[in-house]
Amino acid sequence: MAIATQGTASNYLQRAPSPSGLADVVELILDKGLVIDAYVRVAVIGIELITIDARIVIASVDTYLRFAEAVNRLDLTQTEAAGLAELRDGGGNGDGKTKGMVEGAKDAFSKDDKEKERAKRG
Amino acid sequence: MAAQTPTAGGSDASTETALYLYGVTWAEAARSQRGAGVHGASVGAIRHRELAGLTSPVESTKVRAKRRDLLNHAEVLKKALEHGTVLPLRFGVAFESAEALVEDFLDPRYAELVQLLRSFEGRVELSVKAFFREEAILGEVVRGNPRIKQLRETTRTSTGSSMYPLRVELGERVAAELQERTLRARQALLDRLSRLAVDVQVDQEPIEHRVLAASFLVERKRVAAFDDAMNELAKEEEPRMQFKYLGPLAPHSFVALSAEAR
Repeated sequence: MAIATQGTASNYLQRAPSPSGLADVVELILDKGLVIDAYVRVAVIGIELITIDARIVIASVDTYLRFAEAVNRLDLTQTEAAGLAELRDGGGNGDGKTKGMVEGAKDAFSKDDKEKERAKRG
Repeated sequence: MAAQTPTAGGSDASTETALYLYGVTWAEAARSQRGAGVHGASVGAIRHRELAGLTSPVESTKVRAKRRDLLNHAEVLKKALEHGTVLPLRFGVAFESAEALVEDFLDPRYAELVQLLRSFEGRVELSVKAFFREEAILGEVVRGNPRIKQLRETTRTSTGSSMYPLRVELGERVAAELQERTLRARQALLDRLSRLAVDVQVDQEPIEHRVLAASFLVERKRVAAFDDAMNELAKEEEPRMQFKYLGPLAPHSFVALSAEAR
């Protein structure tokens, strides 16, 4: 199967010709496509559904406190420079400083993709 | 694998085999289809007039599928797309036999399937996701809103419980800013990309920091222009957004059968 990321103009753009990670495939062929109700019979087993990790936005005090904390943690003088260096190094996998802060992007960068990224970097 | 041609008599042994269905394509294009499908079985075609169902044999219609099978399903459709137009099926559809596939699906829906295939001729699906990078967007929010900046200064230096209401206010204002920026950025991305597409499907589920999750139906000849637009967008939005761009794909998000005979 093709490598997930091709050469793109930006480190912030991940381009793939076909779904390579399980998360992509699950989203594409379990949620979409022609369906003939009476004939859906094949059971799917042993699939770790990683896409459900994505955090749905909920307006609640808990959410507000989490945002308040995230904002308070920010180092405004370093935000931009640090953010850039991190992405250039890590391919945007949210390690280091942004750890725990990018749950929303989990379905974009699935475990599969991370493994691939690591393998590629050696 | 040789094509199994169902006949009215159905004496052929292969017609006794249950068949897993990946997609529907033109009979002409199905000739070149190869590869491994569910449970590693080789993929073939069941033809009916101008149409062909891309199938592979399975032991029974009650088969269980694993990770590898999901990947193979996607791979079969990807290969089919290289040979022409294909209507992708959702994972998990199997028929008792080749006759059942023809009699219960390809034949009663023949006109509708032909029309659908024609409507997707020369068109592919491109999937785009965009996310705010939390650190970058929060920095933007703080710098752009004096009240948020002030609340931040107040609450980060003091940890007492008296700060609780101010923390909630800070978070609430940040959430509101984020929502506004998300909607604005989503609209801007859609405006740019929709111009290059024939149709768009937007996933409206509010996932945190997700600016856009959309599928675009695009003429093959415009895919290069779409690529350029994505590259430009990614550069323009650095470093606050990151993108995930997938395709060309079969039109998974755009195919649908009419409800009555389903």
